[in-house]
Amino acid sequence: MMQIKLCMVGAFAVGKSSLVRRYVQSAFSEKYHTTVGVKIDKKDVTVDGATTRMMLWDLAGEDAFCRLQTTYLRGSSGYILVADGTRAHTLDVALDLHGRIELELGRLPFVLVLNKEDLAAEWAISGERITALETRGIRILRSSAKNGDGVEAIFAHFARVPTEACAE
Amino acid sequence: MSAVAQAPGAAVAPDERVGLDAVLAALNFMVLRRADDGTFLRLNTAPDWSGLLGPPDCSRGVGIALAGRSGFLDNFLVDALRLWLKGAPGRICSGVWLETDSHGSDWPLEAQAIVADGHQYLIIQHLSEEYAERVQVMQSARTHLLAEEALEREVMRRTAAVRQREEEIAIRLLAAAGMRDEETGGHVRRIGLFSAALGRALGWDPVRTTDIRVAAPMHDIGKIGIPDRILQKPGKLTPEEFRVMQQHTVIGANMLGDSTIPVLRMGGAIAHCHHEKWDGSGYPRGLRGEQIPIEARIVAIVDVYDAMINRRVYKEPIPEAEVLATMAEAAGKHFDPQLLDLFMQILPEIRSILASVAD
Repeated sequence: MMQIKLCMVGAFAVGKSSLVRRYVQSAFSEKYHTTVGVKIDKKDVTVDGATTRMMLWDLAGEDAFCRLQTTYLRGSSGYILVADGTRAHTLDVALDLHGRIELELGRLPFVLVLNKEDLAAEWAISGERITALETRGIRILRSSAKNGDGVEAIFAHFARVPTEACAE
Repeated sequence: MSAVAQAPGAAVAPDERVGLDAVLAALNFMVLRRADDGTFLRLNTAPDWSGLLGPPDCSRGVGIALAGRSGFLDNFLVDALRLWLKGAPGRICSGVWLETDSHGSDWPLEAQAIVADGHQYLIIQHLSEEYAERVQVMQSARTHLLAEEALEREVMRRTAAVRQREEEIAIRLLAAAGMRDEETGGHVRRIGLFSAALGRALGWDPVRTTDIRVAAPMHDIGKIGIPDRILQKPGKLTPEEFRVMQQHTVIGANMLGDSTIPVLRMGGAIAHCHHEKWDGSGYPRGLRGEQIPIEARIVAIVDVYDAMINRRVYKEPIPEAEVLATMAEAAGKHFDPQLLDLFMQILPEIRSILASVAD
């Protein structure tokens, strides 16, 4: 069985663990539970008759207390940059992490996920900013770990094209 | 040679070894020494969680292979191997990870690779209560940060609402003045947008940039106090009429200058000083150079540019090249030369505003 490693990367409290939990267990908790360290979950996905084991590395969110160790991404087939659409600065954190990862590990496939789409009334990331990022070739997906919208698409993307670049 | 005898430090007597084992058990450590063949020899009694990372039943001193049992540990062993192969005394830490057992329970572990006395060691600790404490501290700190962020967003939301009200007041004041003035709505909007573009180019923060966008259109607000016979006179003004007309700067300053609302205060300064000239030949006070507030120096530039380049009831539009040449000649006389330079640098943005905001 093909196995791919994917890393969840982003600021704290953007919903990285919630996305994994929604994807692997179809569950969601309203309460914020911080991740300390690294937690690895797995899920077998069958696409076009071929089963792939996805190893999902949920890395603790980046903040003043915790800095991402890019060595955790070694050997990964890609990473999922997560930002909270209601907290604009988490997009800056995600892009900063992306820059560091590229600098230290070179180019890896990735997608940028704007999570918490269910909180549309509190959305804080402008359409212009999103368009500008897309113009740079960054693939952007929207999701809600709370209601499950867009979650499958994030991971299915990597299951289908585990070795292809998702963004130039 | 026994496994324990090869541990860091001096040889350990059997009774001391029992004591050391108890200490390591209390610390929830699994101590391993890397053998030449890449397997690991366990140097202490296996803790109950050791089965997560290797065969649970292997005896002390028996070589075990760790590779392939834990994705996280495999990744750490790459870095550990680099340290071990260097051979110099040193230590690296993996950071915490959660190893999940077959029942779905998470075990918080942390590994350290060590080189000591020429030997290569791997120490894995089950963090148990220490991990719970770390989580509690981080949870508390991050919850606090989230609350702060939410508070900050609320302050920003309310500030935006206040600014929106200020902007509406300014727009209504302008509308009142505009009823008597020939200037178009497009002109006053462009003056604000041009000025904000220059503010951004100067590196101003968003608050100040927004302020000048709202305040700059108020530069002629004092015309509300000029009699119609002068303001709307079709021909050339007499010297006395011109002296009265010049008073619009002072009237504007009196209307806005003592406001407690920052954007109106800025509007007052602009109204007062936008006809001052860099060389001191302007009015009403003949200020020169940096005596003139920078906001007014900005508006002086963009007001002249917009007036010249657009059609007015009394004149045809002037080609841009001619406008820019005329303005360049006025650098250091009418205009702040450095600001004019900056204006020329951002001409693409200025042109884009000009094209998007029609009269």
